[in-house]
Amino acid sequence: MRYTAYNLSIDSEIDLPELLPVQTCNTESADVKISFGSIAPGGLTNGQRLGPFLWAAPESLWLQVPQVARFLISNGNDILIDPEPDIDEDSIRVFLLGSVFGALLLQRGHLVLHGNAIRIGDQCLVCVGRSGAGKSTLAAGFLQRGYTVLADDVVPVDNDCRAVPGFPRIKLWQDVAERLNIDTTDLRRIRPNLEKFNYPIALTADTPTLPIRWIYILNRNTVFDEVRIESIQGLQRFQPLRDNTYRVRFLDGMGLKPEHMRLCGQLAGRIHLARVAQPDNGFMLDQLIDRLLADITENP
Amino acid sequence: MSGIYWLASYFKSGNTWFRAFLQNLLEDGDRPVDINELATGRLASYRGWIDEVLGFDSADLDTDEIERLRPEVYRWSSRDGETAYHKIHDAYTYTVDGEPLVSREATLGALYILRNPLDVAPSYANHIGLSLDETIAYMGDHQYVVCKSHKKLPAQLRQKLLSWSGHVLSWADAPALNRHILRYEDMQADPVAAFTGAVRFLGLPDDPVRIEKAIRFSDFGELSRQEAEKGFYERPPCAERFFRQGKSGSWRDRLTPEQVARIVADHGEVMRRFGYLDADGRPL
Repeated sequence: MRYTAYNLSIDSEIDLPELLPVQTCNTESADVKISFGSIAPGGLTNGQRLGPFLWAAPESLWLQVPQVARFLISNGNDILIDPEPDIDEDSIRVFLLGSVFGALLLQRGHLVLHGNAIRIGDQCLVCVGRSGAGKSTLAAGFLQRGYTVLADDVVPVDNDCRAVPGFPRIKLWQDVAERLNIDTTDLRRIRPNLEKFNYPIALTADTPTLPIRWIYILNRNTVFDEVRIESIQGLQRFQPLRDNTYRVRFLDGMGLKPEHMRLCGQLAGRIHLARVAQPDNGFMLDQLIDRLLADITENP
Repeated sequence: MSGIYWLASYFKSGNTWFRAFLQNLLEDGDRPVDINELATGRLASYRGWIDEVLGFDSADLDTDEIERLRPEVYRWSSRDGETAYHKIHDAYTYTVDGEPLVSREATLGALYILRNPLDVAPSYANHIGLSLDETIAYMGDHQYVVCKSHKKLPAQLRQKLLSWSGHVLSWADAPALNRHILRYEDMQADPVAAFTGAVRFLGLPDDPVRIEKAIRFSDFGELSRQEAEKGFYERPPCAERFFRQGKSGSWRDRLTPEQVARIVADHGEVMRRFGYLDADGRPL
């Protein structure tokens, strides 16, 4: 089956209902091939071990999710999956569409940010932050106000500092869905054992790649009682981009660090970058979105 | 020596105080360290640590799957040739595979910080924004777990606390664990002796001048002064202050006789063992 995401054509042996399917009327090969196969359990013989379940070599990355599958990502165009016996496909897809795609996009030379991208006119903003900072909640909030979400969780940035659109879904926890009055009855769980859902969003194959103008770093805090936005100037802008790179450790073993630094520097020079402190108590989504939109207006 | 010393405690038992002391000791500066920049180590249940080492999102795992992987993460993190001091509130428990959560290979030892449960109760009630009776019930619950929600993504991983007694015994009696027990009350009554003992256990230089200065730079007055001045990012949303009283024995003004009796009934054996009850079972 052929799909499209991140402006790539993808041939996959595993069904990917989260992605947009595309019709193929010719035999032209896809940009990326995803297939099932056998992967050696002990890591990469020519690689560097980066973690208990992670190896990297210049052209490949080996990742094991215990009890789920091993993945081998090579040359930015090939993904091999070796599933554990009896594992469900949803569980495989969660990690395939997360870390595995992230590694593939890094191999293709993108700067990959850990966040989501939202269209604002002919440009976009990207919200980054650690897990639990509220990125997906914010994306869902923008969506409810009629904005287009270009990518959730994994945002590849091309050489012209543009965000490449991903695929049409946000991962949403039950709790957030309830707060946003989203009925999850008919939504698919991302994995059978999690109260977390695939929330489909309107994204089409012709959604444009858009220049990134604003990047906001989301943080929770207990010191302030209101949303605070503090812009980051000059050379201080480089490190936060590095810190909010998706799976930054993957770069270590794949020899991509110099290119990554170049891309961070290039992006840092073009954007309005700010830290956003949001109070930990209460749900201040509306206030947060209003403040971000006001900051965008002040920094066009 | 490569490995982890765990700074282990139940909530509101002096762990942050000790970390402030430790950072002042390690920095040996001319002024107290900023309480918002305590960097003695990580928190065992910090999701970002786990995700960074695993290379995939713990947010896409269920709590049992995560627990099973935690020893691997600590083992991996202990391989870098450094001695690390990480904070932990989990009880000393075992994974479904029967392995200690903190991993035996990763662990150099545990400094267990212990406080009279009669004083923990009011402090913890304030910390979590619940009534004293509810808090006392949690402290007596052998199944007590925090950050357990399945419906949202807590910033921290699920932690099994057990009851207060269960927590203490899990660390105090864990087999083959190199441990040192430090009582909050001794940190107050004789800080030089208490902190020096802890410093020696952690394998750090026991220079009396440095220790004395670190004690001074981390005393309650300094910590609460800093919090009043600029806030403390570890303060929970529902609590007005993190550093509230810093006294021992304030339970006498806070707890009713019934609440005292309930805590003694729940935890009398462990309280007696660690010097919080006299021979007749009366609180000291």
